Amino acid sequence: MPQQLEVIQKLSVHRGKVWSANWHPSGKMFASCGEDKTIRIWVQDKDDWIMQAVLSDGHSRTIRDVAFSTCGNFLASASFDATVSIWDKKGAAFECNSTLEGHENEVKSVAWSVSGNFLATCSRDKSVWVWEITQNCEEFDCAAVLNLHKQDVKKVIWHPHQDILASASYDNTIKIYKEDPSDNDWICTATLESHNSTVWSIAFDKTGTRLASCSDDCTIKIWQQYEVGNEEGIITPDNEPVWKCVCTLSGYHDRSVYDISWCKQTGLIATACGDDHIRIFRESETSTKNEPIFEMETKILAHKQDVNSVKWCPSTPGLLLSTSDDGDIKLWKFNNA
Amino acid sequence: MELENINPNVFKKSDERIITEKEWDESCIDPIDAREVFDLIRSINDPEHPLTLEELHVLEENHITVDNDKNEIRVLFTPTIPHCSMATLIGLSIRVKLLRSLPSRYKISVAITPGTHTSENAINKQLADKERISASLENSTLLEVVNQCIASRSNR
Amino acid sequence: MAGFSGALKLTNLDDFITPSQECIKPVDIKKSKTGSKITIQDDGTYLEETKLGSQKLQKVEITLADCLACSGCITSAEGVLITQQSQEEVLRILNENNQAKQNNENDKIKKIVVTVSQQSLLSIAKRYELDSVETAAKHLAGYFKKLGVDYVLDTKIADDLALIEARDEFIKRFQDQKTFKLPMLASSCPGWVCYAEKTHGNFILPYISTTRSPQQIMGVLVKELLAQKLNLKADKIYHVTVMPCYDKKLEASREDFYNEALQSRDVDCVITSIEIEQMLMTEGKDLKEFEMSNFDWPWNQIKTPENFIWAHELSGSGGYADFIFKHAVKVLFNQDVSELEYKNLRNPDFKEVTLEKDGQVLLKFAIANGFRNIQNLVQKLKRSKSGYHYVEVMACPSGCLNGGAQIRPQNNQQQKELTRELEEMYRSLPKSLPYNDDVKNIYDEFFGGNDSDKSQKLLHTNYHAVEKMNTALNIKW
Repeated sequence: MPQQLEVIQKLSVHRGKVWSANWHPSGKMFASCGEDKTIRIWVQDKDDWIMQAVLSDGHSRTIRDVAFSTCGNFLASASFDATVSIWDKKGAAFECNSTLEGHENEVKSVAWSVSGNFLATCSRDKSVWVWEITQNCEEFDCAAVLNLHKQDVKKVIWHPHQDILASASYDNTIKIYKEDPSDNDWICTATLESHNSTVWSIAFDKTGTRLASCSDDCTIKIWQQYEVGNEEGIITPDNEPVWKCVCTLSGYHDRSVYDISWCKQTGLIATACGDDHIRIFRESETSTKNEPIFEMETKILAHKQDVNSVKWCPSTPGLLLSTSDDGDIKLWKFNNA
Repeated sequence: MELENINPNVFKKSDERIITEKEWDESCIDPIDAREVFDLIRSINDPEHPLTLEELHVLEENHITVDNDKNEIRVLFTPTIPHCSMATLIGLSIRVKLLRSLPSRYKISVAITPGTHTSENAINKQLADKERISASLENSTLLEVVNQCIASRSNR
Repeated sequence: MAGFSGALKLTNLDDFITPSQECIKPVDIKKSKTGSKITIQDDGTYLEETKLGSQKLQKVEITLADCLACSGCITSAEGVLITQQSQEEVLRILNENNQAKQNNENDKIKKIVVTVSQQSLLSIAKRYELDSVETAAKHLAGYFKKLGVDYVLDTKIADDLALIEARDEFIKRFQDQKTFKLPMLASSCPGWVCYAEKTHGNFILPYISTTRSPQQIMGVLVKELLAQKLNLKADKIYHVTVMPCYDKKLEASREDFYNEALQSRDVDCVITSIEIEQMLMTEGKDLKEFEMSNFDWPWNQIKTPENFIWAHELSGSGGYADFIFKHAVKVLFNQDVSELEYKNLRNPDFKEVTLEKDGQVLLKFAIANGFRNIQNLVQKLKRSKSGYHYVEVMACPSGCLNGGAQIRPQNNQQQKELTRELEEMYRSLPKSLPYNDDVKNIYDEFFGGNDSDKSQKLLHTNYHAVEKMNTALNIKW
């Protein structure tokens, strides 16, 4: 019987830790980054993934995260050198056309809003910045500096359909933000507290009404959004939706969980763990909105060291990308997608 | 910078390990034990005193646990005074020395001996955060101090 | 404590260790005796146990000035402020002084002077539901007088002087752009100045106007001019200001505002609007219960102004952009403008106004409020793309009326709604003409004219880039 999760290809070109990799919205390309201060662009050539470009002159320290814009024409990279670089995709080549400065120290994560109007970044300086994008990514104006976390902010992500932002922090909380139309400033509408240690990563499901989080406390949590006037009768103070933790997956992970990916097509959840394993979870048939049940489908020793990131492909169901401290990028096929 | 603990207690160093014939045998599978881990880190220098962490009893062999089945190594260290502001730096030095010396399969944790520091939880959390550790080692000034701490005495 | 403005919070902030541990200021520690052991008590104090018994160890004291001179955390300054500049400190000084007065200990008696900012008066008037700011001001003056304050002043005279000085400085800079860089950036917001010094240092400091803020001009007037009038030495006056923001406490603590010769600080203690509310709450009284009293106007013995509370042009932050723009249009281009039309940029807290002739921009001013717009401004300056001649920069969104230490909204009112109401109240106040007889008088009789050496020295200040400290042992990671 074939393994449920099979390696398709292993790419060993980065030197040192590979911190992150992220898909192009087409699913036909991805970018990876790491300790070696380079970004590598990968494309599919028949059955193989090959390296198309190396971007090595953008940052002076570790590159922690990379993200493609929704339109697919731009790539943003976040670095420990406190800057964010914006790269224009010009055919097969990439050109760095702007550098965003403002964070005091290491930038940990970068994300483009689905609308294409905003970019979010976060840093060890405890702040989350929202940048407003003007005219085809020519200018990035600071739309908000959100100093609401008490510690290092590890991750920022955008809602799949709206300009709603979420951030995860070393202060054990997750925060949700939206724009206040009265003065275009950004406000925090919810703080999600339940984890006992650093929240390393978060992921929305395809509807944006659910959020999954993974933490140094070795658990995964599923959060459900309850709108104002919800039928469950859950109180919504300040006329903003509230988020409730409706499910905690504990006992599965042996060490810190560094990344989580919620597939928009299959609904499968993949996790990257400090115990070198990748785990896949599926929502059970008896699961309900208010009491969801997730079951572990498979668990595989994926890398020789910590797994740092996992990302489901946006176009091919079951195709998964992982990166690790061992210097490798791996592409996986989940056979039961 | 003034010393925080001017006159720390100084303890006797433990004896050198006797290397047996079997240990020289390359063919023999030889899992790492607590004593070996201790030998790797006992000579780390205190950032403030011209003394090793062993001499200050910051490190003790019986505070090291090795689980070879799970590839886990856990080191507890005891700051000389409960508000020692050097504790994170000492912890970082221990962690860096072990990361550089041990095979990469080992999961290393470095933490403060329970009840011996006022900011124990905060320091342990920082020392367990691999991203913060990685970033700190790209700070050349900090790296220089860490390297000085973990350089063996003869090299100084 | 609500804390400093966002700009300061971001600056070199620190991680999780408490201020006492974070502080990297080297201090002298007495050598402990051999063989002692230190234990921590439940209350967080340290006990040193020696053969002779145990003894409580003293905590090392760090002053606010130490914090300002250090590139480390600003957050621990907050803890220091609580002890050095607080309502408790003001009440303690007042009590001591009242005691000294009772016991006729003449050498101990000081004149206590309180200066109240307009922004605080508006906030207090709103909180105690007094429609007339003038009435609120009089009740507040009555409260201070009852506490034993000798003089209660408003900032009008200093606001006027700050505008005149900033205006003249702008003209000077505009006419000599070989020596001076434009835009000139406003200097009255201490949060902005502190952020600039700590984060952008020598790049940004040459742009910042050297004109002192109204608080510090008031400091000079009280400790030098008023002292002269009262025939007192400066250290016999204790000067308290009431301000809309915590950052003003940092400003008063700057070394530049300590007069070595007089052995005295221009402003001894800053308390904020919200602390006035707390003081009244502790007394268990409403402001209206205190008898009304007039503000003092020591600047002109013959004629006091018909109002105490005045507005200055459009912005509740002092009206610098409007006032300087109108003056510059007149002086530099010989034109008159009555109403300025601002154009909002990407958000209402960043707006600009221009003077054009034949499609050419002659003057371009902006108002940039809040930390996000400080960022946008700094980035524009770095790319030399601003084109501005003057920018009124304030660290708080909506400027000083929405200062970080203004009294919080009551009854679930939104902060923004409250700010709007304060702005409306501000606009209904009578407008001050900064170049009036009293100001002229002070220039002539005290400063020896406009642009005299004395006015340059006492109405202007310097900025200092804070060097990043690279003591490896204390790097935060």
